[in-house]
Amino acid sequence: MAVLSKAGCNQGTCHGNRSGKGGFKLSLRGQDPAFDYVALTRGPRGRRVDRVIPEKSLLLLKPAAEVPHEGGRRFRVGDVPFEILRSWIRSGAPGPDSRSAKLERLEVSPGKELEVLVDPAAELQIRVHAVFSDGTRRDVSELAVYEPVGDIVEVSSSGLIRRSSFGESTVLVRYLGRQEPVRVAFVPAGKGYEWRGPLEKNFIDKAIFGKLRRLRLNSAEVCDDTVFLRRATLDLAGRLPTSDEARAFISAEKPGKRARKIDALLVTAGFADFWALKWGDLLRNEEKVLDRKGVQVFQRWIRESIAAGKPLDVFARELLTARGSTYRNPPANYLRANRDVLQRAENTAQVFLGVRLACAKCHNHPFERWTQDDYYGWAALFSRVRYKVFENKRRDGLDKNAFVGEQVVWIARDGELKDPRDGKSVAPLLLGAAAGGPGEKDDPLEFLADWVTSRENPFFSRSLVNRIWFNLMGKGLVDPVDDFRATNPPSHPELLERLAGELEESGFELRKVIRLIMNSSAYQLSSVPVDSNGKVETGFARVLPRRLDAEQLVDGLAQVMGVSPSFNGYPRGIRAVQLPGTNAILPRYKKPSSADVFLKLFGKPDRMLTCECERMSQTHLAQAFHLVSGPMLHDMISRGDNRLGVLADSGLGEMGLISELYWSALGRPPSEAEVASARRLFSSAGGGRVALEDLAWALVNSKEFLLRR
Amino acid sequence: MNRKDRERLLSRGVPGACGDFETTGISRRSLLSVGGLGMLGLTLPGLLRAEEEVAAAAPPVKAKSVIFLFQFGGPSHVDTFDMKPGAPAEIRGPHKPIKSVVPGLPVSEHLPRMAKQMDRICLVRSMHHTMKNHNSAAYYALTGHAPPRDDQRLRDSLSLYPAYGSVVDKVAPLKSELPTFVSYPHVISDGSVTPGQRASFLGKAHDPFFIAEDPNSKNFKLPELSLPSGLSFERLQRRREMQKLIDSQSRLLEYSASAKGLDDYYKKALTMLSSTRVRDAFDISREPAAVRERYGRHTYGQGCLLARRLVEAGVRFVTVYFDATIGGRSATSGGWDTHGFDNTRMFPIIEKRHLPITEQTLPTLLDDLDDRGLLDDTLVVWMGEFGRTPKINANKSRDHWPQCYSALLAGGGVKGGYVHGASDSTGAYPSRDPVRPDDLAATVFQLMGIDPATEVYDTQDRPLVIAEGEAITELIA
Repeated sequence: MAVLSKAGCNQGTCHGNRSGKGGFKLSLRGQDPAFDYVALTRGPRGRRVDRVIPEKSLLLLKPAAEVPHEGGRRFRVGDVPFEILRSWIRSGAPGPDSRSAKLERLEVSPGKELEVLVDPAAELQIRVHAVFSDGTRRDVSELAVYEPVGDIVEVSSSGLIRRSSFGESTVLVRYLGRQEPVRVAFVPAGKGYEWRGPLEKNFIDKAIFGKLRRLRLNSAEVCDDTVFLRRATLDLAGRLPTSDEARAFISAEKPGKRARKIDALLVTAGFADFWALKWGDLLRNEEKVLDRKGVQVFQRWIRESIAAGKPLDVFARELLTARGSTYRNPPANYLRANRDVLQRAENTAQVFLGVRLACAKCHNHPFERWTQDDYYGWAALFSRVRYKVFENKRRDGLDKNAFVGEQVVWIARDGELKDPRDGKSVAPLLLGAAAGGPGEKDDPLEFLADWVTSRENPFFSRSLVNRIWFNLMGKGLVDPVDDFRATNPPSHPELLERLAGELEESGFELRKVIRLIMNSSAYQLSSVPVDSNGKVETGFARVLPRRLDAEQLVDGLAQVMGVSPSFNGYPRGIRAVQLPGTNAILPRYKKPSSADVFLKLFGKPDRMLTCECERMSQTHLAQAFHLVSGPMLHDMISRGDNRLGVLADSGLGEMGLISELYWSALGRPPSEAEVASARRLFSSAGGGRVALEDLAWALVNSKEFLLRR
Repeated sequence: MNRKDRERLLSRGVPGACGDFETTGISRRSLLSVGGLGMLGLTLPGLLRAEEEVAAAAPPVKAKSVIFLFQFGGPSHVDTFDMKPGAPAEIRGPHKPIKSVVPGLPVSEHLPRMAKQMDRICLVRSMHHTMKNHNSAAYYALTGHAPPRDDQRLRDSLSLYPAYGSVVDKVAPLKSELPTFVSYPHVISDGSVTPGQRASFLGKAHDPFFIAEDPNSKNFKLPELSLPSGLSFERLQRRREMQKLIDSQSRLLEYSASAKGLDDYYKKALTMLSSTRVRDAFDISREPAAVRERYGRHTYGQGCLLARRLVEAGVRFVTVYFDATIGGRSATSGGWDTHGFDNTRMFPIIEKRHLPITEQTLPTLLDDLDDRGLLDDTLVVWMGEFGRTPKINANKSRDHWPQCYSALLAGGGVKGGYVHGASDSTGAYPSRDPVRPDDLAATVFQLMGIDPATEVYDTQDRPLVIAEGEAITELIA
């Protein structure tokens, strides 16, 4: 079977496909040897395996391209794979035998530690040994399958890693259903390398800078105050600093002002607004299923939980165990939003454990230990959730996805999940080996919540700190942020452990972890590269600039222009980060406002998935059109009652106007070159208002404005 | 072996969450080998191997562009291109077939111009699936992937598949200032927006360049390509100069990939705003009045004309929606969904609206493409989301029928005057060579030179093939 995996026969695109290929189907990546054995030996009239004349077996002729094969030639006559298959057939094509030795584990070198290779080293040979239950140990390097993640490296079929570019990568090694990751980094020699990074302020810096030293990279310098203030205000309050705030912060000379600013921002209303927005995405707070009132009460509950500093384990427990009216007990909206048992199971694992289970619905997870049994056992925990729908006042009676009106979430006494594979009842089971399942009398979700928030559960605190890290640092220590698995190891394992420990120690206090991260030098690094770290985007050596979130952009533009954009269905004055839902249902006959359109275009999620990935941070052409001449920004800039009008009448001189616009848009004074150009703009535009509009446009369209750096 | 037996055999397996995931038993290949290749003893290895090496590479490009004319609502197959004159009156309906230029390929008497052009058409008469609701069925038609459920208000989400054009934009984009994928002039919906019109998990960067304006209106122009009043192009350039200066101060363009990416889009947007090539492609007013008349002075007709202009300029995938709604209750508006509700009746409506518009636009488009030498490498697809019930209902009309319907292909590498598959005597089920939307999708991609097994990644980083069906090689010229 390993031979077929090696040749790629049982990949998802070939015979491992859901419906096979050319009438021949294998289990995906050889996960089901018994099935494959039948497929190979009981195929159409025994043509696949010909025990009499092995060489006539299609199993040999097809992949060797001796007869036409849509998948091309996988190996040649006489090659090792060919010979292994031939000798298997010649010996009568014996099936999997319960008495034969089982594969116990793989020993892979290099091991779990990151292997760092300094230029000119550009290759690394992987060695794989299989250890079987009868104690035998065999070198299977030639038979194992190697899959690099990303395009930093290439791997030959015999396990030789070759560098394509500098950076860090993981290579998955698979053999007979077992997998191990190999972590490798290729780094430039950095002649005369010497660490020149900033002071280590806490254990975070120790971990981040320690790894950079191993990678022979230098970190960027610590950013200046203007960059820090803008970054911190965006990250914590989801908005830009005002010109007054910016001026005050820059001129404050005292030491410790950054730490004080962090503390101050953490208790602002903006902090609760912005972090509630992020949780609202994950908890699927949207109008079609929760209705407008439900969305409002749920958002208010999330926001108040954050404002009050509710411990995150309590927060999670309340969401998982809330019962009763979705209007009077807002966290019950979590279960209201996830109406289907499999959806509840998958989403809960993804949000609270950082585990993606969806693959295991249809096949044993190709990169992870989760099997279909794990999947349905976990799902069975959610099978007794019921909804009492008093009255569904949805406007469209045909829309089965819409719910308008109060509902009661309750847990039925019975209601077992049937395994779709064999129709039998599934016993509810927690994820992971030692976890077990609830007793007869237990409420399955209380039982689940106990485990999710307990310290025995290896996922909860790690996935939470990883999400916090992701929101502040732009990339998770485990990336993607909700994809924890053995084959996707964290970039800084010991840091992840330590942060998770800190979160547990603090009693699951969100602000504690935020403070730790934001007061580190690592968080406060500049985005300007030094030496070679511009070439290697790894290890958090510098801050990678990224586009502002949709809501941050709309609020930021509105703040600079001094206008309140309208959002359909909400009173004027509400800010985009405060919108409770997604506007999935608009008041009848109303079109989305230009700000609503802008939000969608810049990636505000529809909250149909419990995934950070639904908030699309990409940039694209349509966005550029909206920034260049789109209706929302054009109206904000040109309307008579905006801040530009106030400034034009303020009696500030030309220099004062230029300076004020710079401070409010970018939080800094203009440079000399910028003053000169802005003055030219004023003289050529031949009028204060026109020049103000042009300068304002240029400022908010600058990359410095659009990106968080 | 009859159809039911065969389907039962084909779908035999463990019923489960994932359909035929564990299918074993007799398969298409074994059926084939009984009477086909198996008897030849599989020789000719040399010759066939040479062929196979080609097949493993990207397929040759036969259709540089595709015009996808989507007939929302579901046209009746038995009243257009798969008539059943021999069937009882309650099935054959009041319309009569007429001969076309292709022997044995009659069409409705209301399509005499089409009859003269059937030699250009590759007709698939054995389309089938099981989605009875417009949104689920239309999603299937627009993406080639079966929806997760048959739901009248199927909700769009990033877990659903992208439109064909978005896939093309992802895996084979144009390298010019023109958009790869253009769609217009409606966002179709039935109670809620129909999924499958956009890029979904591929990301908004691959959404269609969508035009909401009516190409038949006197002031037709694109908001993206026109500046608001008070903003001249010169003034915009002044702004851009200032923006560049600020960008140079932060040096972000030197070291940030995001900044560079953003700036590239600014460049592209400004190029499009100033490019005559792009604006001309969309400027339908440059067409002679006679040409515009020929296509018909209505939204759909001018949409077909615009499609020809766009393809001529190089756009790879153009989707034209017949109407925004399923319609069916008016002879002056709406799509093909003619149930006969509220005292409306199907036949008067399609006689007055749907058939005349089809008769006016489709032959005109094919002629026009051919006259300009574009038809050979432009694939035209004309289809709805399903057909209609062979048996006429109590309202003297027909209801939804996904079990069997027709799709028309023309140009771009398909055989002309060719019929693939067939329906049974009443048009109720395929009787030969059944085709699923999955197979049609694979065929379209293959004709475009895109391997249907190409993988794209969804939001969970799962590799998904762009078309799960098998390309229908028989209809490729």
